[in-house]
Amino acid sequence: MNPARAYLRSKRGEPMGWTERYSLLFGVGLAVMLGGQQITDALEGLVRQADPGRAAAGLALAAAGYVGFLALARAIGPVVLPAADAAWLALSPLPRRSVLGRSAMVLLAVATAGGLVFGLALLSAAGAPDKLVLRLTGALVLGVGAAVGGMAMAVLGQGSHSWDSWLLGLIAAGTALAVLMAVYGGDIAARLAGAPAEWAAALAGLVAACAALLARKAWAALDRVPARGLMRSSARMGRAASAAAMMDPGMLTWAAEDNHWRGRAVRSRRWPVRGGAVATAWQEWRRLGRRPGRLALLYGAAVLPAVAAQAGGGLSVFAVGVLLCGAMTAAAICTTGARRDGDNPSLARLLAGDPRRVMGARAVLPGVMAATWLLFALGGLALAGALPGVPWWLIGPLAAPALAAAALRMAGRGPIDHSLPVIQTPGGPLPMGVMIWAGKGVDLALVGCAPLLVLPLFPSASPAPFLLTQAVAGLGVLAVFVLRSGGRGARVRLT
Amino acid sequence: MPHALINARDVEVELGGTPVLRGVDLTAAPGEIVAVVGENGAGKSTLLRCLAGLHPPLAGRIDVLDAPPADTPAFWRDVALVGDEPAWYPGLSTREHLELMEAVHSRARLTVDEALAEFELANRADLAPLTLSTGQRQRLSLAMALLRPSRLLLLDEPERGLDEGFRERLAETLSAYAREGGAVVMATHDMRLARHTGARVVTLEATP
Repeated sequence: MNPARAYLRSKRGEPMGWTERYSLLFGVGLAVMLGGQQITDALEGLVRQADPGRAAAGLALAAAGYVGFLALARAIGPVVLPAADAAWLALSPLPRRSVLGRSAMVLLAVATAGGLVFGLALLSAAGAPDKLVLRLTGALVLGVGAAVGGMAMAVLGQGSHSWDSWLLGLIAAGTALAVLMAVYGGDIAARLAGAPAEWAAALAGLVAACAALLARKAWAALDRVPARGLMRSSARMGRAASAAAMMDPGMLTWAAEDNHWRGRAVRSRRWPVRGGAVATAWQEWRRLGRRPGRLALLYGAAVLPAVAAQAGGGLSVFAVGVLLCGAMTAAAICTTGARRDGDNPSLARLLAGDPRRVMGARAVLPGVMAATWLLFALGGLALAGALPGVPWWLIGPLAAPALAAAALRMAGRGPIDHSLPVIQTPGGPLPMGVMIWAGKGVDLALVGCAPLLVLPLFPSASPAPFLLTQAVAGLGVLAVFVLRSGGRGARVRLT
Repeated sequence: MPHALINARDVEVELGGTPVLRGVDLTAAPGEIVAVVGENGAGKSTLLRCLAGLHPPLAGRIDVLDAPPADTPAFWRDVALVGDEPAWYPGLSTREHLELMEAVHSRARLTVDEALAEFELANRADLAPLTLSTGQRQRLSLAMALLRPSRLLLLDEPERGLDEGFRERLAETLSAYAREGGAVVMATHDMRLARHTGARVVTLEATP
């Protein structure tokens, strides 16, 4: 072991006690009990001839997931170190590969796990009409090979522009494939599903061989990963990890926003609106207008719920989850001003706006974004025939106020209160501070969209009362949120 | 002497049980510049936070604009505070940060072009603030505070990151602000800046 790492490890805290070991074993046991049966059922369900339409949608989703995996790996680093290691070890004369070895192993494990999921997703979409064991093995090898190979390319890209270009090409090709599969994939999917198992095994072998070569190259390249990029990606990872852990897509964009604008010149324009609150909120409109690519990507992703519904054979829980996550993301990416003022209110104090009015003005854009995104996504679901007979075009505007309030509440969350108690449960310790923090924002979305969420439970009921209740709930949640943000004694945090 | 904008008497502050300020008196009248000086840890920034209503004193009384300071919009419409670097809004250029300030405050002291020229940022106007150097970002912070109307300016080490030449220019800018009737309280380590502004110097000593 690297002597520096050995020294650091010797200084770490107490080893795991028996209660922690018990919790860990109990958790693993519970996961096996809960997941075992489902995995068995899922494997049994693979033995079927796939329906071409559902297979195409499933393959498109799998391809989109793979592209997302590669893009995330590239955005994060993928080779990163904990902040302390990045500051001390990356700048030391220690061999870079020995410093990064553990991170590389973690990446390999992550890629392997992701690849297994990818392989299962492929097989689940294409089906296994015969030779289940061979097809399953082939799909898993193919998935792991593709994921490990992609991750290796990302590692190589961290130290080399040419490899980074190759990775970008792979991401672009994967995106095009996902789109083509979603639109015209019926015939291709039918041919793929009907291909002999031996062909799939041969393809898996080829991919695995390429992945092994790439992994070997990436391992050799670890010595040449530049320290500057490593430190930058490690800092990014800190934010990304907390964003992922706390289910806050907006927070993930903070570092990405700064990286995007640093070093850039923009054509300055006159401020088109005058007056405190509206002028303050205009910052978000202008920023969003300067990222057309991101907007296109966001609205392009509105097709995903329809694809998910097609793959699942109807409006599944997964499709509804994709719909809600997408709408929340659309709202949350328009809250950077509120987020910055919540974290550091210096500019808000200089602007001296009335918090209630500023909050009201800032709620408009997230509301518009959530409403339009839902409009596109629900339109896609309606075209796919996955929606019950409700006036679906109303749902977006009706849910948007609650989603805007939820996104702004999420943006204004303070640090986690670690002084709150940790409740011991049979499944392990439950830190209340983290739970309350993570629930802020989501709570408003659930309360404000409750009428719509329960609508599918009553398929034969008239939708009118639900839609009316939704209108009242959405506007009510937003109104209470805005009024509370400027209540008596409110500070100039504007969140 | 005109009616004081700041009237602090016998202010006492503790941070984490450690006394930081003890028996501090401070007044500032319209048209006056007060330089608060002292070694590191003497409590200069803490005093400024107290005057801004961001930290309540343990004992004593502080009146700013005839009332205890409070972190409310009404207070900040009269008081401008420049301390640590703000979190710049993403997607806006240097000029647009100033445009925003001008759009929000109806009776701005300076136009955007005047502010860019005064703070030597005209050739950086289209860059994002994060692209600027530390000193240029400090100039932008000061420009935003001095563009908007205010009666009281609270500055925490305004000389931070600024070159020698610009510090002299800043002294002239602050003097002009005071001549218009505003009061300035600045915590500083730069005695030349204090001298150039003609500031009344208040020395804080670290509490043992």
